Amino acid sequence: MSEKCKAKLINFVKKSVFADFIRGLYITFSYNFEGAMTLKYPDSEKWIPYRRFRGLHTLNKNSEGKELCVACELCSRACPTDCITVIPEENDAGRGIADRVAKVWEVDLTRCMFCGYCEDACPTTAVRLGREYELACTTLERGTRSRDELLLPQPVPEALTGGVVAKARFIRSADGIKVVAELGKVRQRKL
Amino acid sequence: MVNIKINGKELKVEAGKLILDAARDEGHDIPTFCYQADLMGIGSCRMCLIEIEGQKKLQPSCITPVMDGMSILTDSPTVVSARSSMLEFLLTDHALDCPVCDKGGECELQDMVYKHGPHTGRHAEPKHRHHGKDYVLSPVIIKNSNRCVQCTKCVRVCSEIVGVGVLGSIGRGIHQEETSFFKTYLDCDHCGNCIEVCPVGCFMRLPYRYTSRSWDLKSADSICTYCATGCRVVIEERDGLLVRSRAQLGVGLNSETLCARGRFGYDIVNSDDRLTTPMVKKYGKLEPATWEEAFGAIRKGFRSSSPARTGGLISPRMTNEEIYLFSKLFKGPLQSNNVDSSMRWSPEAVEGFAAATSMTAGGVSIFDCMDSQSVFVVGTQLSDENPVVDYIVRRISNANGVQVAIASSRGMKLDSCASQTLRHAPATEGDLLGAAALLLADKDAVRFAGNADFNSIKATGIDTLAARSGVSRSEIEALVSSFGSSETVGIIAGTEFLRFPEGSASLALVVEALRGAGKKVTVIPVLDRCNQRGAWEMGAHPGLGTAYSREGVKGLGFAGMMNTASEGKLDSIYIVGENPVVEYGDGNFARDAIGKVGFVVVQDTFMTETAALADVILPGVTFAEKDGTYTNQEGRVQSINRLLPPPGDAKRDLEIISTIYNIFSGTDDVPVKKSAGIFAEIREKVSTYAKVDLSFNNEKNTFNDLDNKESLVGGSSASLSMPQVTGSAASSLASDGHAGFTLVTGNHLYHSGRLSLRSEILGGFIKGAIVEISEEDADRLGITSGEKVTVAGSRYKAELVLKTRKGSASGVAFIAENYNDVPVHKFFRRGESVASVKIARS
Repeated sequence: MSEKCKAKLINFVKKSVFADFIRGLYITFSYNFEGAMTLKYPDSEKWIPYRRFRGLHTLNKNSEGKELCVACELCSRACPTDCITVIPEENDAGRGIADRVAKVWEVDLTRCMFCGYCEDACPTTAVRLGREYELACTTLERGTRSRDELLLPQPVPEALTGGVVAKARFIRSADGIKVVAELGKVRQRKL
Repeated sequence: MVNIKINGKELKVEAGKLILDAARDEGHDIPTFCYQADLMGIGSCRMCLIEIEGQKKLQPSCITPVMDGMSILTDSPTVVSARSSMLEFLLTDHALDCPVCDKGGECELQDMVYKHGPHTGRHAEPKHRHHGKDYVLSPVIIKNSNRCVQCTKCVRVCSEIVGVGVLGSIGRGIHQEETSFFKTYLDCDHCGNCIEVCPVGCFMRLPYRYTSRSWDLKSADSICTYCATGCRVVIEERDGLLVRSRAQLGVGLNSETLCARGRFGYDIVNSDDRLTTPMVKKYGKLEPATWEEAFGAIRKGFRSSSPARTGGLISPRMTNEEIYLFSKLFKGPLQSNNVDSSMRWSPEAVEGFAAATSMTAGGVSIFDCMDSQSVFVVGTQLSDENPVVDYIVRRISNANGVQVAIASSRGMKLDSCASQTLRHAPATEGDLLGAAALLLADKDAVRFAGNADFNSIKATGIDTLAARSGVSRSEIEALVSSFGSSETVGIIAGTEFLRFPEGSASLALVVEALRGAGKKVTVIPVLDRCNQRGAWEMGAHPGLGTAYSREGVKGLGFAGMMNTASEGKLDSIYIVGENPVVEYGDGNFARDAIGKVGFVVVQDTFMTETAALADVILPGVTFAEKDGTYTNQEGRVQSINRLLPPPGDAKRDLEIISTIYNIFSGTDDVPVKKSAGIFAEIREKVSTYAKVDLSFNNEKNTFNDLDNKESLVGGSSASLSMPQVTGSAASSLASDGHAGFTLVTGNHLYHSGRLSLRSEILGGFIKGAIVEISEEDADRLGITSGEKVTVAGSRYKAELVLKTRKGSASGVAFIAENYNDVPVHKFFRRGESVASVKIARS
């Protein structure tokens, strides 16, 4: 029997017993016994990103609780999409670290591309891109976030390195959808 | 001329020129902090160090003159490292709070360090802090000494140019601080020139504080609209609000200087009281209306009035284009010569003043005037009315040793640099100049033989004239001899000649006598409204057409219109930008008269007392919202540019006037939206404007070589004769009876007319009305500055605060014409500006 005929015969036998099909099904079937790669987001799990993640902007305060922002407008100047608006004002009452504070500090998230230039430009490390990434909204107004909201303490503390999956509760209310992570119950993500 | 070498290139330059200027002329960049073209060189900042071959030490180029054979290196490695080290030293004691500092983004130190400096510092010592928080020096100036680079430009500009000298340096070395006496609140002119010259954020504007960054601002080149000096300013806006008006070094005749009005009076534009919608009177009440309704009412109102019974008054704050079209509207389609632009003065006074100051001969540059060997300032309170002219006179007279003589009845800041001051009785400019003319014409009697004015003063005699003016004959002789010893004489003549028109004839005689004696005489008329000269040249005058040409039929001036109106003989009046009810000599009379006019149209930016009487109110715009040109007192034509859109439904004034023009001409001849077309027409129709060049407007030069003669108007072929003036201040005073003080008026340093009263910043400088008398008079009365006094005349009595002024003539009281609470005109007879009053402590 020539080599050619032999190969043809083997091929015929393989096809008739569905050998490739079974091998494919074996891989697919074997995944049924491994844990899931995907996260059960938003129903019961939430990804906590690393600190280097570039999400929603945060405005920070120093250890004495004074705003670090001096409204120098350098973030607004550095912004390639021109999405940050800063209007300064004078405040002697000790709201900020200097007597110059922001009257308005607004970021238009619908324009922002999260490049982090604002963070680089900031001379007082007042503005940082945080770990908040749930930014979908149903109204255009919600696309603009302003100072009061950005100054609030972050749900994920600085000390947490991130890169973990936390247990979460999915809350649907009249105000919208919220996924609250329970930072005590975390697991490493499978790689 | 000397031969020098700069960076190896051989040059011939004028002897005595500074190395810095010679090098900059050649295009070499030498950085400086303390050097400024107009100020005394002190060579303190050491940024301009250069190397002279053969000399071991580097030399400051800003105070070293060139010498023959010098070989100068401006970029040698030693020079470059010295520059860098100087900046490193400056930064060791600089606050480096750039993110907070208002100057951030436009700071000379930032730019310099970026370009020449080391980007790292080696000094880690703690910095010297002068103080913690910034401290306020005036309602407009806030100070942070920690940022100071000790260039002392603020101190020098304050004493050398502004002449108030309230700033000084305290301490030495890093402890040196440029500030006021004991760091207290400044009692100064609030001009803010110290802010403008400060290279860093040491002196800052308080109203602008923390509102913006330099890169957020949109700007437009404009002209200050408060007096007729014609200072070039840059107005800047953020988010639709005008936040700053500033001057630039080397731009315009004012260069970097401005007065308080120019620098801080911009906020009228942001006022909430602006008119934003047209209003039409319906059933006796003014109601907001559409533009169609307003124009419809105007069409009906003017159509039903006869030409001779129609009048127009336009403010001299309007642009040339608007005034040209306004007078064209009246003299053309409305067929009326009743057009006026100077409510406060009679048409004859205007003609006399224009003739005496040879305004028909074309524009004269102030710098040409200051080139004279002696300069005579007369009939103007220059330091208060035209502060920037005061700066120019002070600067140039100090630098070139010009002999300055000042004749006025009140003391002024400029007195300190005058070689002679003559304090005459109020309203006697004519007598003083008459006596001077008689002395001057002594040798040239033939020339004046047929001159009626001359003969009448000759009949009076020098001694009588001198006695009337209250100046001794010897002082007048000294003045005349100072004229006699100079080849060139400059005369700066102001608005007192319009208030007291009888003086113009004597002024004309003095000018003629000086010219007869072979001297070069340059006369600068000094005016107090930004486009007053332009308004006259555009023909907004009842007797004169464009470029002072004589009109066939003489119309009514504003006083004439009011008289006609009070008899019920005026059918309609169109008032643009003026408020006669409070600003005209007799306010109540004007209110009654305007009330009797059949149809009143008022076009203004604010709801004024006059607008309240109108049948139709048209909301116009301010200087920041329109384009156009202004002609300043010298005859310099300069343009303004729009920066902001009109508020609400308001329209640009030119658009309104041209729409009305098109309604009555029945054509669409006049472009409604653009001012450029109208200016082209002015060039064509007004001969003196044919060659005016506007292109210099934004040109900048580092040498502060500012004069630009191409923008001056040309001479006109029209010749004005001295009109006969009826009545005089003397006779009016005599009929009042002598009550102790002679009350005169004029503009306050911080105000111009009533428009500037809308400015909150300017309003912060003075609280309430002030009456000013000399220190000696106050001592005699036993009253001190700041006390409340009662000023009583035969027609009006008011209570105001007394302020003393050094160097004023005895028996002179002054109340500015800008107060709403004490309208000074109520003291005067209608159409006059002088009264006898009694002052007593209340």
